[in-house]
Amino acid sequence: MTAAGPRPLRVVLIGFGPVGARLAEDLLPGIASGHLVLTVIGQERVDAYNRVLVAEYAVGTAELVDMTLVSADDLAEAGVRTLLGATALRIDRVARHVVLDSGERVPYDRLVLATGARANVPTLDGISRRPRDLPTLEKYGSDLLQVDHDLPDGVRVLRDLDDADAVRTIVHRRGRIVVLGAGVLGLEIALAAARAGATVVVVHHGPTPMPRNLDRGSGSVLARALRAAGVEIVAHSRAEAIGARDTPDGGRRFDALITADGKRIAGDLLLLSCGVGARSDLAVLAGLRTGAGVLVGEDLVSWSDDRIFAIGDCAHVLEPTAELRSARVVPGGPSGLIGPGWRQAEWLAERLIADARSSPDSARLRPPPTERATTVALKAEGIDVVAVGDVEMEPWDTETDTGCGVHAAAPRSVSLWADPDHGRYVKMLTRAGVLTAFVCVGMPRAAAELTLLYESGGELPADRSVLLRLDGPDAGGAPSADAFAPSTTVCTCNGVTVARITEAAEAGSTTVTCIGKATRAGTGCGGCTGRIAEVLERTARTSGLDAALPV
Amino acid sequence: MTAPAALATDTHCPYCALQCAMSLTRTLPAPDGTAPRLPVEVAGRDFPTNRGGLCKKGWTSAELLGRGDRLTAPLIRDADGILQEASWAEALDLVAATIRRLRDERGADAIGVFGGGGLTNEKAYQLGKFARIAIGTSRIDYNGRFCMSSAAAAGNRAFGLDRGLPFPLEDLGTASTVLLLGSNVAETMPPFIGHLAAAQAAGGLIVVDPRRSATARLTDEGRGIHVQPAPGTDLVLLLGLIHLVLAEGLADEAYLAARTTGIGPLRRSVSAWWPERVQSVTGVPVPMLRELARRLASTGDGRGGTYILTGRGVEQHVDGTDTATAAINLALVLGLPGRPGAGYGTLTGQGNGQGGREHGQKCDQLPGYRKITDPEARRHVASVWGVDPESIPGPGLPAVALLDSLGEQGGVHALLVHGSNVVVSAPNVQTVRDRLRRLELLVVCDFFLSETAELADVVLPTTQWAEEDGTMTSLEGRVIRRRRAVEAPAGVRSELWIMRELATRLGAPGRFDLDPAVVFDELAAASAGGIADYSGLSHALLDTGIAAHWPFPAGSGGTPRLFAERFAHDDGRARIVAVRPSRWEEVVETAHDLTLITGRLLEHYQSGTQTRRIAELDDAQPELFVQIHPATAARLGIMDGSTVEVSNPRGSLTAAARIDQSIRHDTVFLPFHYSGAASANLLTQDAVDPVSGMPDFKRAVVRLRPVTTTDSTARGLT
Repeated sequence: MTAAGPRPLRVVLIGFGPVGARLAEDLLPGIASGHLVLTVIGQERVDAYNRVLVAEYAVGTAELVDMTLVSADDLAEAGVRTLLGATALRIDRVARHVVLDSGERVPYDRLVLATGARANVPTLDGISRRPRDLPTLEKYGSDLLQVDHDLPDGVRVLRDLDDADAVRTIVHRRGRIVVLGAGVLGLEIALAAARAGATVVVVHHGPTPMPRNLDRGSGSVLARALRAAGVEIVAHSRAEAIGARDTPDGGRRFDALITADGKRIAGDLLLLSCGVGARSDLAVLAGLRTGAGVLVGEDLVSWSDDRIFAIGDCAHVLEPTAELRSARVVPGGPSGLIGPGWRQAEWLAERLIADARSSPDSARLRPPPTERATTVALKAEGIDVVAVGDVEMEPWDTETDTGCGVHAAAPRSVSLWADPDHGRYVKMLTRAGVLTAFVCVGMPRAAAELTLLYESGGELPADRSVLLRLDGPDAGGAPSADAFAPSTTVCTCNGVTVARITEAAEAGSTTVTCIGKATRAGTGCGGCTGRIAEVLERTARTSGLDAALPV
Repeated sequence: MTAPAALATDTHCPYCALQCAMSLTRTLPAPDGTAPRLPVEVAGRDFPTNRGGLCKKGWTSAELLGRGDRLTAPLIRDADGILQEASWAEALDLVAATIRRLRDERGADAIGVFGGGGLTNEKAYQLGKFARIAIGTSRIDYNGRFCMSSAAAAGNRAFGLDRGLPFPLEDLGTASTVLLLGSNVAETMPPFIGHLAAAQAAGGLIVVDPRRSATARLTDEGRGIHVQPAPGTDLVLLLGLIHLVLAEGLADEAYLAARTTGIGPLRRSVSAWWPERVQSVTGVPVPMLRELARRLASTGDGRGGTYILTGRGVEQHVDGTDTATAAINLALVLGLPGRPGAGYGTLTGQGNGQGGREHGQKCDQLPGYRKITDPEARRHVASVWGVDPESIPGPGLPAVALLDSLGEQGGVHALLVHGSNVVVSAPNVQTVRDRLRRLELLVVCDFFLSETAELADVVLPTTQWAEEDGTMTSLEGRVIRRRRAVEAPAGVRSELWIMRELATRLGAPGRFDLDPAVVFDELAAASAGGIADYSGLSHALLDTGIAAHWPFPAGSGGTPRLFAERFAHDDGRARIVAVRPSRWEEVVETAHDLTLITGRLLEHYQSGTQTRRIAELDDAQPELFVQIHPATAARLGIMDGSTVEVSNPRGSLTAAARIDQSIRHDTVFLPFHYSGAASANLLTQDAVDPVSGMPDFKRAVVRLRPVTTTDSTARGLT
């Protein structure tokens, strides 16, 4: 079916990462019905892949085919114009087109930015960093837009396949990798590389790993687990410079990380894992308001231009108010997680299709649910860490009155289970019984349940230990304490209890077959005939005993 | 027909799709001449599926023959609204006259027919024919829509054919790993579990159920793994397992290349479901996910194969077809379907749930599992029926939509119900009850006054299992004989007779035979060349005791194992259809919301019309209970055994609290066998699967509240 009447809505998407690809996929029904046309501009020359799995690709446990999310060929077949290996250099908001590095101008009615994030590069002697403010971008725009970083040989971030290939080479020859930063991504690649046979050292400046997600206790338990998994940890160390050596081909290559206290940590590769920042250069150049990313309202529309949207890691979602609009610095920022990005893409696709159909649904579409903080799970085999929210509060801390009068929220309370020797640690923070934050190490089932409870906003069992016991050997409920208690069912098929069998035995049915005739026990699936024999044996023994006892 | 001569009659159980073999022996009067309490005695009979065993339901089934409340005369609602006994002629004339009048006034689609998965093949076939050529309506569907429709849609989509188990049940006996998804066989078809012994011995019985059900407990003591995902997250669990199988290199790439299409899109669709993300949605921990994936793929070292089986727990959802599809995809990625000693199957529920979905009771289907929209199929069936292909109506409405149309403008105004108790078994039943009251005519054929019959304008008493001849098709696609062991009470008629009488009164074309063997021959001819081809079968051949698995074309020996060489699509390949979870319409939103799941008890069958009439079964499970986790009960102040109100915007009911740890703390369970104010379906959603029309029985959001004595007194007064 094609739409009669006005020409289809022209949607241009910049960015073909996981979030952009999800949007493209979800717009297909609108393309099929002839209501919209879509152009996708992607910088990498490959099909959209799941960046979450890049660490696994880097150590060779995942291949590209297992990571691919959406194939450009499939999109092209569905009528999408896909321009891979193309860089958008400029957005002309007046003429409403995007200028590509090829010189082509791609006109739009709606423009979606899904340009993602780039890795942060810390200030280190030996690494040059270029600012990305408006004057610099105006001067060097096309260079800066085409390349994220200009890093020396042997220094890498881990963001795309190219980076991952560099890591793969080192892992393959069982080289030594220095990871700077002990955030989730740094630890994931560290563990994966160590498991794949590389020597790995993680350098970080705080006392314990994952400081943004973990408290001191869980961090300490995790540090132990990391060491046990063969990852060397150098804590309390601020990186200051990189050391390099001459290579035979006349270049210079990284050979050690030097810390502020003078340690020289040698390695074949330095992986910078110091967080990410939104890629919002195009927005800056186009004069769109940015904060920690492209500023968009809850409906994902840019604060500055209602034909432009942003989703995923480049989007800083914040509902604009007059006060915020005039503020120089605004709070919050992109979550950096893929789940919320996908939900934004799904919602926006629905909205754009509704727009294209000029359907009244477009106005009625509820804005996407505001995201709560999302749980973070460390992806590593054998180490289970899940955390969300601020988990610094300790069991005996009392919250100071926030002074909001009658509307003051109930105070938070903390439950804690720590067993560092066995690598287990759980801290649950609740307000009126509902989880506001938690961390769970070494207890996968509890972690999974807590995640569900957190997501659903469900109330925790008053007896919190119910959750801890999920990882115990008796999980899932009491196996019947006494297999021979009179009320215990022996034959499920026919609902026959120990008492019933004993009764029949006392009345003279002393074989399994006789019991079957008398009670039907054992006459269903036959799986309980062994148990019936045991009950008979015990009955015989007990009655024998009774007879021998003086009354 | 003559009265059975032999004292013992070999037949099968009246209840579920396992169709346990039994023999019914006529009881003799006592020496003093006193008539026996029951006309027959039941004994288990050796057969590959039940191996001589019967569950409590089977053993007590003869009680149904001795009930004093059996319907023995037609009933017609009088001017005062009371059902009064009437003659057959009066009842049939009334029904036929009303059908004629409505057909003239509003067209044939104003008359609906609602069938059942418990009807014999002969009755199911005849009902489809009766609706289409005697009434001329397209509006026929059946309660299997509430049962097998999602699995059927998924099987047809993937394999080009839907036979619950495409292999004989006994094959499970060679397996070292059996994955049971959403099926509580230990309660629903107990003798089945004997076939799981080998997998248990190998530590490979994997049961996926949010409840620690009787089946889940079969995994205890190292015999397997119980996986307890949050309700409604089965699809994500399966996507996560497929992800792991592919990512860890456990897939059977040679099989995928040679026997399937569509692996590319599947790979891409599951790359978004890495284990940690799956854990955060399902609550199944990552180490368990990995263990499962590896276990399912491990068949080396002389181990037996892997089977994946689904049940209603994963299918009765708005994404049931997609969930069954995901289970099939997992099986295909592992290379199971069609390989000896391995496979995928779905466990059919109702006695003739398999045959019931093959012979034309479905709104979009003609006999032989043919599509009603296929001109060739219409021509073939029309020639067997002796009518013009143009006179066969097109596709009608699936069950929920059919029930929704009752009393509506352009909808159904007279409904004939056969072997179904919709006011207990349909979702959101209060709405269904209200809609039935808007009909001009409700006719119910049943052998007891079921809750649906109580609302009828005309009730027609029919024969039940031990009083009739025919065939059933069991869960393994085997056609078996149901045989008459006793005479039906005077005044009771078979549905074949009722259809013939009505057809005559309606001036219908075609034949409406009375003898089930003759109807079977016609069915076999109508099915010839179709997917479910019975053309090589007859009652006489079945009576020789052959194991007849369809397709059984004339001149063949049947097909115990399907897909060995090819799948039923034209290119011979299985189709992998990538699926992805959709957003739920109804979600837990506050700390007070709990998820309701529903299911069966060992003692009862479906709407309980039969089993609630048997003292031994009813005494064991006399009343509705709600299963609650102790931590949840403690939080809500609910004591074991106390009365609890379970409610949501659709309805509310009270039930006795049964507190135990076998359920998740965020979930409660209600059995669905009870009627009236105790019907679990007062709370279920009538949102349906877009592909199969299956309602979402297995997931609703509810709140619980302890009921105080004052409350219950007040309730008693209203």
